[in-house]
Amino acid sequence: MLERQEMIYCGACGMPPEYCEWGPDYETHCLPWLKKHHSALFEELAEKRGTPAASAGDAKDEKPVKQRPEAPWTTEQRLMEFYKQYEPNKLDNVPGLLEKYAGKEDKLFQALTKKYGPEPDDPYYDDSEDEEEDDEEELEEDMANVTLSAADKKKRRGAGAKKKKKGDGSGPRVVVQKRAQNKRRILTVIMGMETVEDVKLKDVSKAFSKRFAGSSSVKDGVPGPSGKSAKEIIIQGDHLYDVAEMIVDKFGVPDTAVFLDIDGDVVPLR
Amino acid sequence: MFKKFDPSSDVSTSTQVKASVQRALKSQIIESHPEITEDILDELIPKKSPLVQFKVGPHLMLYCRKVEKEGSSPSDEPIFFQQRDGPILPALKLVHHYPTLSFKRVTVDKGAIPYLLGGANVMCPGLTNPGGEMPPDGKEQDAQGFDVPGVAKGQGVVIYAEGKVHALACGVMTMSSADIREKNKGIGIEISHHLGDGLFQTNEI
Repeated sequence: MLERQEMIYCGACGMPPEYCEWGPDYETHCLPWLKKHHSALFEELAEKRGTPAASAGDAKDEKPVKQRPEAPWTTEQRLMEFYKQYEPNKLDNVPGLLEKYAGKEDKLFQALTKKYGPEPDDPYYDDSEDEEEDDEEELEEDMANVTLSAADKKKRRGAGAKKKKKGDGSGPRVVVQKRAQNKRRILTVIMGMETVEDVKLKDVSKAFSKRFAGSSSVKDGVPGPSGKSAKEIIIQGDHLYDVAEMIVDKFGVPDTAVFLDIDGDVVPLR
Repeated sequence: MFKKFDPSSDVSTSTQVKASVQRALKSQIIESHPEITEDILDELIPKKSPLVQFKVGPHLMLYCRKVEKEGSSPSDEPIFFQQRDGPILPALKLVHHYPTLSFKRVTVDKGAIPYLLGGANVMCPGLTNPGGEMPPDGKEQDAQGFDVPGVAKGQGVVIYAEGKVHALACGVMTMSSADIREKNKGIGIEISHHLGDGLFQTNEI
């Protein structure tokens, strides 16, 4: 019968892993991701690809084991490695070259890389580079936090009027309410959607009308004490729970910030 | 077709598919992919929960089914699409998730893979070179006693690649498989949906 199979898609590029190799960041992102998360599949694919890829994988295995030299290369060693990689039979010229270019080694290496290609990596710097990367990542995270908190502040300012009324301090706060239009006609009203970052009320309203196949509009609500107008989104029909869940799922509002107003009692969604 | 596809802006109206239309859809799928039986298709698209049809642009229909998720509202997962009166084609994620579901399939050789991933059409040599594969021609005869090609012109096919397990694209034949073998030049399959395009990146609408 029909069986559903769980698929593995590459976390870096979103493709099935066997097609990763045509992606842009295959070596730098896809391979490490696959190795980390699905090592069995990684090996299977490496085998399929044949020796070159397998050896590439092996090389990666070896890397951490490789011993880190005590000191970085001297200029002479650097030059030796260069010639070892590209022109082994000219190795004897190294001392002569050094003498000739004494004091302007930079130029020498520039010329060499131009002629042959990139310099061989100094194993001494291998690990330290990694560490640097980590630092950078941490830094980025810190930066993200900083910007986030700044965003929080902005949010607070925008929704100040409402917040004060409710006596709540920070972050978004969205209240979903049912309102009777007639006896049988019910409207769903969302208040406080403007406290949410990065959404436009009009777009939100449009999304609701699409989802619930009904009319949805943005209206000015009762302004708060500070005179700042509060906007509300009015949807025709009774969608209290659906709306609340959609706010959480689609617009990324934390579910602790969404409240339901059930007959005057404001209760948190979850 | 889906190269630039963004469900938030390109999808216009959604309608629930009527039961009769759904039945017609199913019979069309069964007709063009004879290895899929009605029972299997019923399991894939249960009669109870209706399909949702989304319009993409003026001539493209996207059929989705509801997916219940725990702890959040149900969403629509694209499973089939159809352009104008063309064949109904499956979304690649669906093909991947149900490997036992056998659509009409062809295989292209290794060299064609990168081009297909970029959204190019399949050229005939990609199907006829060693590594490429198409259903054999002339297995059956039609009423007049002529050979029926393995895949007819205008038929929707799922495209696999040499040495790979999973499908990488689906498209519409622009020639019959017999013609492809004979002429061996030009576009053989027009790609409608391939790995990495907008539809592939869309998990739900």
